[in-house]
Amino acid sequence: MQGAKRKVFVDFVLQLNFLLCTLNFALKITKNIMSDYLSLENVTKRFQSPEGKDVTAVDSANLDIAKGEFVTLLGPSGCGKTTTLRMIAGFEFPTEGRIVLEGKDIAMLPPNKREMAMVFQSYALFPHLSVYENIAYGLRLRKMSGATLDKTVQDAMDVVNLKGMGKRRPAQLSGGQQQRVALARALAIKPKVLLFDEPLSNLDAKLRVSLRVEIRQLQKRLGITSIYVTHDQSEAMSLSDRIVVMSAGKIMQVAEPREIYLHPNNPFVADFIGQANFLDGVANSVNGEMAEVNVQGQVVNVPCQVALKPGPCKLVVRPETIKLGTEGTFAGRVKTVSYMGSTVEYALESMGKIINVVDHDATWQRVFNEEDDVRWTFRADRSYAMS
Amino acid sequence: MLKRRAADPVFIFGFILSVAFVGIAILYPLGKMLSTVVSVEAIPYFERFLLRPTFQLIIARTVILGLVVGACGTLVGFVFAFFQARVAAPGWLKKMAHWMALIPVVSPPFAVAIAVIVLFGRSGMISYKLLNLRPNIYGLSGLTLVMTLSFFPAAYLNLLGLMRALDPSHEEASANLGASKLRTFMRVTLPMLAPGIASSFLLLFVEAIADLGNPITIGGDFDVLASRLFIAITGEYDLIAGAVLSVILLVPGLIVYLVQKYWADRASVVSVTGKPVGQHQPVRDWRVRVPILVFISFCTFLIALIYLTILFGAFTNLIGIDNSLTLKNFDYVLNGVGQDAFSDTTILASLATPIAGFLGMLIAFLVVRGKFVGRGALDFGTMLGLAVPGTIFGIGYLLAFNNPVTIAGITVLPKLTGGRAVFGGALAILLVYVIRSTPAALRSGVGALQQIDPAIEEASTSLGGDAFTTMRRVTLPLIRPAFLSGLIYAFSRSMTTISAVIFLTTPEIKIMTQQIYNETDTSRFGNAFAYVVVLISIVLVAIAILSLVVGTRTGAERERK
Repeated sequence: MQGAKRKVFVDFVLQLNFLLCTLNFALKITKNIMSDYLSLENVTKRFQSPEGKDVTAVDSANLDIAKGEFVTLLGPSGCGKTTTLRMIAGFEFPTEGRIVLEGKDIAMLPPNKREMAMVFQSYALFPHLSVYENIAYGLRLRKMSGATLDKTVQDAMDVVNLKGMGKRRPAQLSGGQQQRVALARALAIKPKVLLFDEPLSNLDAKLRVSLRVEIRQLQKRLGITSIYVTHDQSEAMSLSDRIVVMSAGKIMQVAEPREIYLHPNNPFVADFIGQANFLDGVANSVNGEMAEVNVQGQVVNVPCQVALKPGPCKLVVRPETIKLGTEGTFAGRVKTVSYMGSTVEYALESMGKIINVVDHDATWQRVFNEEDDVRWTFRADRSYAMS
Repeated sequence: MLKRRAADPVFIFGFILSVAFVGIAILYPLGKMLSTVVSVEAIPYFERFLLRPTFQLIIARTVILGLVVGACGTLVGFVFAFFQARVAAPGWLKKMAHWMALIPVVSPPFAVAIAVIVLFGRSGMISYKLLNLRPNIYGLSGLTLVMTLSFFPAAYLNLLGLMRALDPSHEEASANLGASKLRTFMRVTLPMLAPGIASSFLLLFVEAIADLGNPITIGGDFDVLASRLFIAITGEYDLIAGAVLSVILLVPGLIVYLVQKYWADRASVVSVTGKPVGQHQPVRDWRVRVPILVFISFCTFLIALIYLTILFGAFTNLIGIDNSLTLKNFDYVLNGVGQDAFSDTTILASLATPIAGFLGMLIAFLVVRGKFVGRGALDFGTMLGLAVPGTIFGIGYLLAFNNPVTIAGITVLPKLTGGRAVFGGALAILLVYVIRSTPAALRSGVGALQQIDPAIEEASTSLGGDAFTTMRRVTLPLIRPAFLSGLIYAFSRSMTTISAVIFLTTPEIKIMTQQIYNETDTSRFGNAFAYVVVLISIVLVAIAILSLVVGTRTGAERERK
């Protein structure tokens, strides 16, 4: 009797276990299909510097990208973002780790077997081929010909507003037009992933802004998974679903633009995305995502990292959240004033350091002069405490 | 890295092919020669050659000749290039100077020597008949004149390319900072060209000390290593003496090469961005223009005179003595005894040309785009084919391929040289043609490839092209002009070379340059000149055909407006 009961129980546990396993497996598969279209798993790239030293360009990067997502790799030069992109493209091969596209490890596959297309910083158009033949290049390699080929090329030229320019040579186009050809050439083959390597950095500022709007609209309309490398944060902010901030080969934070700006993971991200003032404070108590912080005797309730522990901490205060006036919590002295028209930028000497302030309301506020003594406060709910 | 790249079979195949070529055709004969030289039998030869004053004099003379010709040839080449690239002058004059400078490239080097003897020798048409002088043209002065005229085109082409590649913004920056034209030239332009000037000097130095044709024609008693070596092989049949002399001949060239490479690698400042830049302002100052124009006119006139003499001499019984016109010289070359030499040489050169062109481009591709360890060695190994004097390869081939090459009793290569060799020794001559031409194709290929943004090739692979497709549809079309110049060089070099092949000709295979030498040696100038005219004609026709077939443009050039 005892044995039978026991058997039933064991059976039950085993079945439950089996059920859970199956569920887990199914979840994993769903996750793979639904969200992790392209994944980097512990991708590391080491190479020898000319001096013979081992350099780690990318240090165990992990990243999951969903289908149709626009992800930007952002960071200062030498942070490993381009190397990461080139490993995804297949121009470099990781020393360690896996690159998984639709469930298959493609890390060691040559570029021509990856069904991706890259838009290069230098455009990399084939100078000896016409615009038409440049766009047709990838299609011809896929054995497309005749009317289908012609229609695809024409459509691609249409999409990037290059109608009627098919006969021209790349050298007869402006920089912006050349980059459109490069984009059309990449789009034409309907790649699984579209890769951008600082595609706008050789263009002038206005063109850069208008082209990036076009790129984003196109990408959304066509729903192409895109990875975009840039060192320009405004480009990253305006284009991306998610931004990957990198520094010294490591991924510092992966998040939506808003999240990155409001809740940076660490001082590097806070400083790299926008401007940041770091105030020294002491966290009295931490309650989930809020903390009570003492800054120079002033106690404020601020959002904080979940990982923050009571004790000394840093408070990130954006320049535009500071209000200058004749009254306020803290004292300071204006050291420099930059009148920008729509805004006024100040550097204050306060708390023994330089505090940057951006006044977006210059039309209505008093403009201070250098060496003025001022008082200032900041919006606690827009600051962020980190360890 | 290599492991993964190697996944591309095209890459692997090209790599194996290149290594096999360098190993068998270049390194093996050189190694064979070196092993002969370090053997015990060679010791007395070294004593004889290095310790006796007569031989020390020969070595000194060789070095002096190299230095003088290197300096003169580089100077003439520089002036021609500067005139072409920077001086304001009518277009027809520039074109004429350009073509005149190129004629020596397509003619056998000692054609000039024979014409100079006829014009300026003891009984020369100008020196004696016109000016009633009896100068001694045989010796250093004659050699310098002849070699400078023969070899300066290499310096000219090298420097012209560099001058055109220089970004004018550097000079504009200098002028903008307040420097005069002269100061800009001295402090900016010249230093940026210094590596090119050095490499031209090196090239001419090596050519001068390695040249065999001119010293045996116009050297007189000014004995140099190359002519001494020639006597050792053809007169004394002493291969070991030849090998020892070869090694001695190799040393000065190698030293200059290493010094230049070490120095030029550090000093190289020429920046090729591949982006279209502004145009240089041509020099209009008469103080610069007039001397340069006079100099160019004089040189152009001299070259024209020399080649007209050759042309005229080909149609006369005995130029300078019996100037009556005749066609018998051409009859001799085309229908008579010379017929074999004519066809053998043309066929072998035609075979060598595409091989050298493709090998050059292939190795250039591996060297520039490959990421394997030892690509520098592959480049160096290939360059040895040109850097090492041709006479050395001649002897090396005799030593290496006079018997079948066997590995563990299995014949890998049959007997290539001497009597009863395969194809009458033609294969050895073909190989020599190829190794002598590939380096130039390699250099022009490397230069062209380095100007192509690697991203262009990456774009092709990213769009789905494998290595072969990318090479065929993107890389090769873009380096077409370099490929063409490689082919043209290969053909003219093969047709006109003598130093390496003179040791390899057999009764079955005759080579035109050697026939020219034989005719000159027996003072049958008419026949010699007719050979030269025929040879130059073949080369010119071949250049026209190659340009037509390969095409001179990539299609990427900006349209001229």
